Amino acid sequence: MGPYVPKEMTEEVNITPIHPLMNLAHLFATVAVTGLLIYGGLGIAASQLATRIGPKTEEKIGAAITASLPVKTVESDSRVAYLEDLLSELQRSVETAKLGKAEYPPLKVRILEMDAENAMVSAGSYLMVTEGLLAAVTSENELAFVLAHELGHLHHRDPLRAMGRSLVFVALGSLLGIGQSTSALPSVVNLAELSYSRQQETTADDYAQALIVAHYGHGARSLGFFERNREPDIGALNKLVEWQQTHPMSSDRIERLKNRFQQKNWPTTGAATPLPENIGCANFTSCN
Amino acid sequence: MTSLSRPVNLILTTLEGVPGKEIIEHYGLVQGSTIRAKHVGKDIMAGFKNIVGGELKGYTELLQEARKESVERMVKQAQLLGANAVVNVRFATSSVAPGAAELFAYGTAVKVQ
Amino acid sequence: MIELITFLILIGVGYFVGQHFESQHYASIKAREKQTLHIPLMTFGAKQTLPHAHEAQMFVGSVVVANDYFKTFSASLRNLVGGRMVVYESLIDRGRREAVLRMKEEAIAWGASQVINIRFETANIAGQQANQASCVEVMAYGTGIR
Repeated sequence: MGPYVPKEMTEEVNITPIHPLMNLAHLFATVAVTGLLIYGGLGIAASQLATRIGPKTEEKIGAAITASLPVKTVESDSRVAYLEDLLSELQRSVETAKLGKAEYPPLKVRILEMDAENAMVSAGSYLMVTEGLLAAVTSENELAFVLAHELGHLHHRDPLRAMGRSLVFVALGSLLGIGQSTSALPSVVNLAELSYSRQQETTADDYAQALIVAHYGHGARSLGFFERNREPDIGALNKLVEWQQTHPMSSDRIERLKNRFQQKNWPTTGAATPLPENIGCANFTSCN
Repeated sequence: MTSLSRPVNLILTTLEGVPGKEIIEHYGLVQGSTIRAKHVGKDIMAGFKNIVGGELKGYTELLQEARKESVERMVKQAQLLGANAVVNVRFATSSVAPGAAELFAYGTAVKVQ
Repeated sequence: MIELITFLILIGVGYFVGQHFESQHYASIKAREKQTLHIPLMTFGAKQTLPHAHEAQMFVGSVVVANDYFKTFSASLRNLVGGRMVVYESLIDRGRREAVLRMKEEAIAWGASQVINIRFETANIAGQQANQASCVEVMAYGTGIR
């Protein structure tokens, strides 16, 4: 046994000499590039596959989704017939608007017992409007714009695409364990999905606008509902919030549509078509 | 023959000395460690392999390579102290985070003659 | 949106505060290592006769170190890519040196002239959920003699 010679360690051998931020940037770039490739590829594949679902299957899925809604639907209501008439008039204008032929199953209209002003479509061509929306619109043009927007979603098969995409991403996420590893990755995917759905909203807006102009001959008062319910302006954060929300229209979205009226030389003046009386109440009988 | 059995220009033993040689100086504890994560592709392959069983080649190589690095780091510490042997080498493996393992090697740096 | 902002704030706080604590801890570790350098630490001693030993006692030093948010996030990305987990290296290194120092300081207080037959133990004591940040206990134990 020799003597002990105390010596100081002069170098950090067990720590890789790389700045943690550089390391993170490198990791982030790798994950982002591969992630985007996978996300893009799978997303496109999923949405393409979803639109190839047979009409019967689609109806079944739609019925299941509608049945599982937590909100009650009003079915035997004469307002449903009115909405159906308005929708089929709009559908007839699709040809004059040169928007291409739509290939979705026949529409089924539901009224939701909900005070929030909203409208939505689901797979199987279920078009749902809330009682709140019916009470809030002041002219047929406004209501028609909302309905045409939803028709735009159906025309582009958005509900099916969204379903296909979310199925694929949920499956992929659980396979990779992304859902458990950290809250950050799902939110990155969420952001990407939100930007995708923003794009869908914009396309549906354009569709609705063209359809309204073809149907009424002008775009007057069609944006009134959105202007009354526009998102509060919060300055610089606007762009961020816009990413998150799809239905209450932001000022930017309304401005874009207004500019588009001018670009396309579509008239913005004309008489508003009135709504039937008491549309906010069941069966058009005045509510008390 | 794993990569660890390949000779490094420094004597490594798991004994308390080097047979046939005498320890003339001690320098104390030296340690080397590295933490490795397996990547997603290998994870998926391993998931399939878990169904049928058998050796996970990808993981075996990964751990061997990582353990080699931990030994190299320990050896580097010993060389910094001017040692020519590390005696009584021990290994420890631990799970540090989900999906990541630490390979740790430690021993006593000595000079032998 | 709020989720993303909270996430960025947590990352930022994790990085700056975590780095600050880490450099403080390293400064303390290095100073204490210098102070206690005169006491030899050996991994052997079980099978050799020890000439100067009159008394012996076991000493244990242990520490639990936790990850900061920044490191957890880097590690979760690393889990996808694979390879060397750089951010955890300093964490474990700190933990191990701290554990050794605690053992050594206790032995010095007892009056040990050297600590022999040192062994290490590392355990992951993260909670039940997989997404929880990792928490590692590092333990060093050995026999002090005087």
